[in-house]
Amino acid sequence: MNFEAISTEIFILVLSLFAIVMDLVLPKNESRKSIGGVLVFALTGWVLYMFSMYVPEAAVADGSATARYFMDMMYIVDNYSLFFKQLFMVATVFTLLFSMDYMQTVLRYKGEFYALLMTALLGMCVLASANDFLTAFIGLELMTISFYILVGARISSVNSSEAAVKYLVVGSVSTAIMLYGISLVYGSTGTVQFYEMFRNQHLFTAAGLAGATMIMIGFFFKLSVIPFHMWAPDVYQGAPTPITAMLAMGSKAAGIAVLMRVLYVAFPLIGFYWLPILAVLSAVCMIGGNVMAIRQNDVKRMLAYSSIAQAGYMMVGMVSADYPGMKAVMFYGMLYVFANVGAFTALSVVEQQRGGSDYKSLAGLAKSAPVLAAVMTISLLSMAGIPPTAGFAGKLYLFTAVVNQGYLWLAFVGFIMSMISVYYYLQVAKAMYLNEGDGKELHISGAVRAAAVLSVIATILFGVWPEKLAELTNLAAYTFLQ
Amino acid sequence: MDGYATLGIFFIMALGFPIAPIIIANIIQPKQPTNEKDIPYECGVNTIGKNNVQFHIGYFMYALVFLLFDVETVFLYPWAVKYSQLGLFALVEMLVFVGILTIGLWYAWKKGALSWK
Repeated sequence: MNFEAISTEIFILVLSLFAIVMDLVLPKNESRKSIGGVLVFALTGWVLYMFSMYVPEAAVADGSATARYFMDMMYIVDNYSLFFKQLFMVATVFTLLFSMDYMQTVLRYKGEFYALLMTALLGMCVLASANDFLTAFIGLELMTISFYILVGARISSVNSSEAAVKYLVVGSVSTAIMLYGISLVYGSTGTVQFYEMFRNQHLFTAAGLAGATMIMIGFFFKLSVIPFHMWAPDVYQGAPTPITAMLAMGSKAAGIAVLMRVLYVAFPLIGFYWLPILAVLSAVCMIGGNVMAIRQNDVKRMLAYSSIAQAGYMMVGMVSADYPGMKAVMFYGMLYVFANVGAFTALSVVEQQRGGSDYKSLAGLAKSAPVLAAVMTISLLSMAGIPPTAGFAGKLYLFTAVVNQGYLWLAFVGFIMSMISVYYYLQVAKAMYLNEGDGKELHISGAVRAAAVLSVIATILFGVWPEKLAELTNLAAYTFLQ
Repeated sequence: MDGYATLGIFFIMALGFPIAPIIIANIIQPKQPTNEKDIPYECGVNTIGKNNVQFHIGYFMYALVFLLFDVETVFLYPWAVKYSQLGLFALVEMLVFVGILTIGLWYAWKKGALSWK
């Protein structure tokens, strides 16, 4: 057994155990921020180390090196999964940076937050590497069960508990649907492994197609694709703000990572069934998410609907079902992380110190915390896709890919909806810059400042110079299709 | 289909086993109902007080921790039976598994899940 292949997962598990043990060893009144600090450094180091795990393009082309497997093809570590793992870890590092102060004041159980965040990250990594439905299922459960607890972590808040219960109920239903789908697909193909499923071609039965549909519905629930989105706004609003950020960037990217693998590796033969569905749903997501976001007066709810729209954009790339499309989805997923970090960093500071996350609480932020206001504005503009931010480059890749595949109307819908989204993103900027606030200065710690500034630097850097990230996504998409 | 036929017969037998006595008892029993006989009872004694008792939340914590170690035993048993063939690798694997569970027990202990309040 090739344990080196799963070294990332082992490392994250050890970090999680470390967090539990440190929480027990440290004196009761001691701040738990030190655990977060250690996790930040450890994860950052590992993300950098992971660059050495990539299989170079030349080696893939001449067949001298392939992806590594663990446990008889159940677990695959290729460039594609490595890229997504790095994405999750970057998201977690940023979340840790801007959540340490927030969690220290808001939560009753502080050490558990770090341990559970690590298990959620572990679940995401398993999802990205899963090569059969059962492994994917275990990863999905590991991730969502950690999130159920994290969403309800503010025990004193009614909203948080309501969100947790709602998430639990909807999550269990979607899990049940997906599990039933997996059993049907297994019944008609005789295998749960993705590539075997493609090879033996037994999916063309009524039970097999019904199963494939149910599996997709399960994933759509997790991605909060309209019409399976009803849980998202309440859960996003009720959860502690850093967890909302993690749900929006980590959980969503993990779902997309495994859904792409399922669709392209296991179900390519029934592509003419799911391609139109995916195209229509992505259009519905872009329209619905953006239109409903306009009417919200809570910024967290607005970001929930905007994340539905963002899932729509990423599905546009999946519709093109080719190499540029995959590359675009990965590129967009990465820069969405940076945009989200910027927005949620500012939001969590405001919520922690002004006690609310609606537009009124944001009033006058430009005077109280000019850095945060600028970060928030740039991040939201990146989500809207305004040049020179990274969002523009990302959307350019997405829409180019899908237009080349002949879906002109989809790119058109996406383009119009991006224009509409500028309206409600600028509403936030208007509240921060034009409205008068109480003028009290907000306390911003070094870690929060670092998260905010680094995310904005990344957003602008990948906007004006997307080359390096594009090369990385190229490499990941290229080896995936070999 | 032979295997399924066996399974079907087994299923019918299993279903018939509890149903048959009920039917037989219904046929041969003498029927002389009185008020006393018709009241719901437990162990033949009249109920005293409320019959939906709430259990102490502490039981829940104990049950969770118990379940953890119950499952551990399920894994340990086949490992112990096959131990001589499995060798050092399995020993290390089991140590890792038990180690993680021990951290869990430590956590439960330290956070007061085992103290009766």
